[in-house]
Amino acid sequence: MNKEYEIVPHTADLKIYAYGITLTEVFRNALRGMFASIKPQSTHIRYEHDELKVSTYTSERKVVVHSPDRETLLVDFLSEALYLSDIHNEAFLDARFSDFSDTELEAVLFGVAITGFEVVEIKAVTYHDLTFEHLDGIWRATIVFDI
Amino acid sequence: MEESTFSKEQLIKVTNSLYEVPKFYRSDMRVPAHIFINDAMLDEVLHDTSLQQIVNVATLPGIVNYALAMPDIHQGYGFPIGGVAAFDIANQGIISPGGIGYDINCGVRLIGVNMFAQELKPYLEELATALYHAVPSGVGRGGKLKLSLKELDTILRKGAPHMLKMGYGTPGDIEHCEEGGSMSEADPDYVSEKAKHRGHDQLGTLGSGNHFLEVQEIVEIYDEKIAQVFGLTQGMVTVMIHCGSRGLGHQNCTDYVRAMLPKLDSWGIVLPDRELACAPFTSQEGQAYYASMCASANFAWANRHLIGHWVRECFEKIIGQTVLLRTIYDLSHNMGKKETHLVNGKHKELIVHRKGATRAFPKGRRELPSAYAQTGHPVLIPGTMGTSSYVLVGTETGLEKAFGSCCHGAGRRMSRIKAKKSVRGSTLRQELERQGIIIRCESDPGLAEEAPIAYKDVDDVVQVVEHAGLARRVARVKPIAVIKGG
Repeated sequence: MNKEYEIVPHTADLKIYAYGITLTEVFRNALRGMFASIKPQSTHIRYEHDELKVSTYTSERKVVVHSPDRETLLVDFLSEALYLSDIHNEAFLDARFSDFSDTELEAVLFGVAITGFEVVEIKAVTYHDLTFEHLDGIWRATIVFDI
Repeated sequence: MEESTFSKEQLIKVTNSLYEVPKFYRSDMRVPAHIFINDAMLDEVLHDTSLQQIVNVATLPGIVNYALAMPDIHQGYGFPIGGVAAFDIANQGIISPGGIGYDINCGVRLIGVNMFAQELKPYLEELATALYHAVPSGVGRGGKLKLSLKELDTILRKGAPHMLKMGYGTPGDIEHCEEGGSMSEADPDYVSEKAKHRGHDQLGTLGSGNHFLEVQEIVEIYDEKIAQVFGLTQGMVTVMIHCGSRGLGHQNCTDYVRAMLPKLDSWGIVLPDRELACAPFTSQEGQAYYASMCASANFAWANRHLIGHWVRECFEKIIGQTVLLRTIYDLSHNMGKKETHLVNGKHKELIVHRKGATRAFPKGRRELPSAYAQTGHPVLIPGTMGTSSYVLVGTETGLEKAFGSCCHGAGRRMSRIKAKKSVRGSTLRQELERQGIIIRCESDPGLAEEAPIAYKDVDDVVQVVEHAGLARRVARVKPIAVIKGG
């Protein structure tokens, strides 16, 4: 199973499933899904049949997050990425984790300079319907974004 | 789409435009829920989780009378969009950042132009292009104005009136704005550095999604007397601006939802959805959020004020100095307001949450600007880019039934994915242009996501509002040019 993330229909907002064999993979795919869903526009990105391909990453941003539980950790991690995206005009499509537990993480986000998003901008990561499920050896996180 | 677990049989039909979810539906409900809706629209709402969301709102501490849903109700996060709830400040009533929304003081400004649409027609293409370039979306690139953190703090404290001091806009823009464009309890010290960093270059930007700038024609007047007071004449041009507090507001809400979550136990608050995170209004956290929300609201008013200024500049550049643009009203969609209302025969100070809902105050309320003291303020209901928008006026009945509230638009009925599958952006663009509507929007998919088919019929929504007695129709406008941020 290679699926990284999936967009799920939602009346007004953006809902995704992020998959992974490990939790770090889920967090990485949630990050990738969050940005890829809104189609960042960049000279470093091309779309092949709707699939996003990055030619070169142009930035690395370090994030350190401490949270009371796994769900909040995911929201805090993605919120930090949105903040960094907004102030640097970048989209982050990969991450490498040097430290990871249910309550803290340290990671480097890999980003590209952008000129905008084709779809919409994400206003925020919400706690609504936020879940982690572990089925047949695969983790699935459900996340709803306000757009 | 998540399926509703509600069936029509579980609701009590009170009138043809009002359904009730009784308090006994779920043991944690503190009050019943009232949904202003008709039969056909209810069938659509039952397809998603909107009604569970309004039931969740009915469980929040200090809620009075009913958890309310306007006819544009649709599934959101925490509160449904179109949700209204009032909390008794003296009785542990709460304030909920998620219940107000991430886009604090997202709202609509309507500007009247002293020209008939027919007179504007020869200039419209050029004007639409000028507006597209003058008013950026700001997404991924920031805006034209870069503020120092000190200047930003002043705007957060003072709101739109400070923009006037900086040389933007007119005194009329301030007088015809909800709260005069400034919440006096704003305190920038409660807004995080992160939020300020996001906001400092975003003033004067529309954002994306359903945010827009429209040039419109007034096509129908329903109440001549009130239309005259509002300055609305059939055939004349209006401009509508829909946007909010941008990254600053989004970050502020994110910060306070996060700050309140770990404190819930200490306040004895049990929530059915963490997105409803809240604090007693009188608590330190409740007061801090309120001060920051007011500051974010001031930023949103400054934003619409500046966009209004640039719109005026574009008209003057293309039409000449004889053209006059007058703000008719500026109305908030996502706000928590301290208001006094009659509850069980007693006046109570409430914190009224309107999320994807607006105020609709009739004459007599002290909050009204003097120009509208004898009529009530204009209630602005944007439709979609291919349909009508409405100007309504509030009623005494609305004040009694819904704390003087109204719907904020047509309300989505279809997910963005489904909208894109149902209609091609390029085809929609051609269709709208065939109807005489000029479109300035870079993205075809972005256009398709906001297609009229993705929304409820605004005429039906307004009909329910009127039938329920929440507000009355004054005028209807139709778009002649739609601009979605360059």
